[in-house]
Amino acid sequence: MIPLSHYLFISAALFSIGLYAVLTKRNSILILIGIEFMLNAAILNFVAFSRHDKFASGGQVFALFAIVLAAAAVAVTLAIILNVYKYYKTIDPTKIDQLRD
Amino acid sequence: MPLLSFLGILLIPGKETRGSIFSVFNITVSLVAAIILFGCIWNKPAVHVQFTWFSIGDSAFKAGILLNNLSVILALLVAFIALLVHIYSTRYMKGDSYIYRYWAYLGLFCFSMFGLVITDNLLLIYMFWELVGFSSYLLIGFWFTRESAVIANKKAFLMNRLGDLGFLTGIMIMYTQFGTLDIISLFGEDGLINKAVVTDGLWVAAQHTMPEIWLTIAGLAFFFGAVAKSAQFPLHTWLPDAMEGPTSVSSLIHAATMVAAGVFLLGRVYPLFNHDVLFIIAATGAFTAFMAASIALTQNDIKRILAFSTISQLGFMMLAMGIGAFAPAIFHLVTHAFFKCLLFLAAGAVIHEMHHLKDKSGLDFDHQDIRNMGGLKKYMPFTFITMLLASLALAGIPLTSGYLSKDAILIQAFEWSDNQHWIARLVPYSALITSWLTAFYIFRLIFKVFFGQLRINKGTETALVLHEAPPAMKYVLVVLAMFCLFPVFSASPLSYEQSWLLQGLPHEIIRSVYNYHTVIPLTVNVVAVMLIYMAYNWYVKRAAAPDFSGSWLFKFSEQQWYLDKFYNNTFVAAVLGISRSAFSFDKAVIDRGVNAFGKVGVAVSYVADWTDRYIIDGIVNGIASLAGSIGKFVRHFQSGRLQHYFVTMLLVILVFFILKYLAW
Repeated sequence: MIPLSHYLFISAALFSIGLYAVLTKRNSILILIGIEFMLNAAILNFVAFSRHDKFASGGQVFALFAIVLAAAAVAVTLAIILNVYKYYKTIDPTKIDQLRD
Repeated sequence: MPLLSFLGILLIPGKETRGSIFSVFNITVSLVAAIILFGCIWNKPAVHVQFTWFSIGDSAFKAGILLNNLSVILALLVAFIALLVHIYSTRYMKGDSYIYRYWAYLGLFCFSMFGLVITDNLLLIYMFWELVGFSSYLLIGFWFTRESAVIANKKAFLMNRLGDLGFLTGIMIMYTQFGTLDIISLFGEDGLINKAVVTDGLWVAAQHTMPEIWLTIAGLAFFFGAVAKSAQFPLHTWLPDAMEGPTSVSSLIHAATMVAAGVFLLGRVYPLFNHDVLFIIAATGAFTAFMAASIALTQNDIKRILAFSTISQLGFMMLAMGIGAFAPAIFHLVTHAFFKCLLFLAAGAVIHEMHHLKDKSGLDFDHQDIRNMGGLKKYMPFTFITMLLASLALAGIPLTSGYLSKDAILIQAFEWSDNQHWIARLVPYSALITSWLTAFYIFRLIFKVFFGQLRINKGTETALVLHEAPPAMKYVLVVLAMFCLFPVFSASPLSYEQSWLLQGLPHEIIRSVYNYHTVIPLTVNVVAVMLIYMAYNWYVKRAAAPDFSGSWLFKFSEQQWYLDKFYNNTFVAAVLGISRSAFSFDKAVIDRGVNAFGKVGVAVSYVADWTDRYIIDGIVNGIASLAGSIGKFVRHFQSGRLQHYFVTMLLVILVFFILKYLAW
């Protein structure tokens, strides 16, 4: 029986890796991957805590929802990235700074 | 009736008058009006009509006219003499290029003179008084291209202003004390002056009380005004210089009417004078009369002699006023106006002819200098006879008008001094001596001008040039000469009491010291005739004309008692000195002060500038740059980079959670 804290450690590690990727990568797709990392860390937490849910597997249900939504979000995001690439000829987020003052 | 007179008078200031006829017509109308008025008013109750002129606060100023015996006799006199002078001027001034100005000024003068005699308010009298002075100023300077005329009119104006100051002071004192300037309510029978009493050194009137000294000061102030206008002692020097004007003007203004205004003023405010003031008036009059007569002895300019004679006679009138002989003073004023006017006009005729002679013969001589004249009797018989009559009147020889009025004054003077201090006794004696001197100098003039031989150019052509004055001038002289004779004024040739004029004016019951009535005229006339005979001997026969010209008395007199020089050296020099020191004071102190003030201003503005620039602007700029730097600082957050936003967001959330954790 693996204790709950192990899940939480792995989840925190995943989240941190994702965060790092989001903050440092110069590629939009890698940032997207970082986001997925953080999302999956959250989902992992859902699943881990659902063991303590004696009445209904609410956590697992939420996890499934989140996975589905993540897939949809990835699809949309990839489409945006494609359009950005078409427009700017780059997907480096540091170069796309037209919103600055 | 006043309305008619007003209409007549309003016609006179013919400002647009260009022609002599219009002026003469106007003055004739006013003469007629004056005669009618005279007939209506003389020896009847005075007419007093007034309306509210303006009001200040509670006090309403009333303006109006007051016609009593005094004013109608003077109005008649002014109108009559003015008419004669106008007629005379039509010839005398003929050919002058500024003749229309002459008529206009003359009209202005007549208007103001009428106004002066008939108004009932001291303030109005003052205004007309000023107008009279002003028109006299204009007329003295009528030949303004002459330097001396300009100086003379300036002098006359300044002297008159000095007197006006006195008059104004008097008016102000009156107003302060009584709150009104109306002559009737001030000086009438039961007027405020009579009601006001002097008690314990205080002058108590109905509304107001002031120390007694102010009564004297008010009297002196009015007297001072009269002194300037009537050319009395301290301020007399303008009158001889005023002879620079045309002779007809001298005759009208400076002999007959304007100078009499001072005497008239004294007559109007007579009840005001207390004992001290009256004595001062009498003393000034006596002194002036004597001084002017002594100066007239040695003058050589025909008009200057007459001018000093005028001053002397005005002194007589003042004297008469001062001794309480109100009626004789006015009587003398009237008779003097006629004979002095005649003297001037006759002198004008002489000057006129001499001037012609000068022009025709091309000789260069002073045509007013009696040393150049002589023997004119042959050429100008009318002028001679009329002038002789006037001179007799001036000298006070019986059968003339001058005899009546002058003896009236002399007799009253002696009666007055009877019970007085010995100083007061000097007054009648000096008047006596003055009348002797008068006889001498006027006959010196007559003999020098009309007797003997013409002293210039014995050539033959002079006889052809010199001739009688033109008719307009001649008949005026004749008419005036009539008025020098006694029947016009009195039925009896020797007794002045019977004069209708004296009886018409308020006069004291003459005390019965009858020995004066015979002694004085006798003394006066015997000595006067002796002096005339002496003058005849000296100047016609040239028997034993002693030469006084070296003696200091002669010089003293010839230089007019050095008063002119004295005034020049003291007052004029002092004024110049004062103005010079005022100038340097101005330059050294005021200007420096102003400059220093300016510099202080500049320094202050430098400080203000600095404050403005560095403090006020600094605050404003500081706020602006603070906002700018905040903006610059804040703009860093908006880098447009997603990841920066993300970091910020993360940090904010972290801080939020940390705070929340710590708060627990």
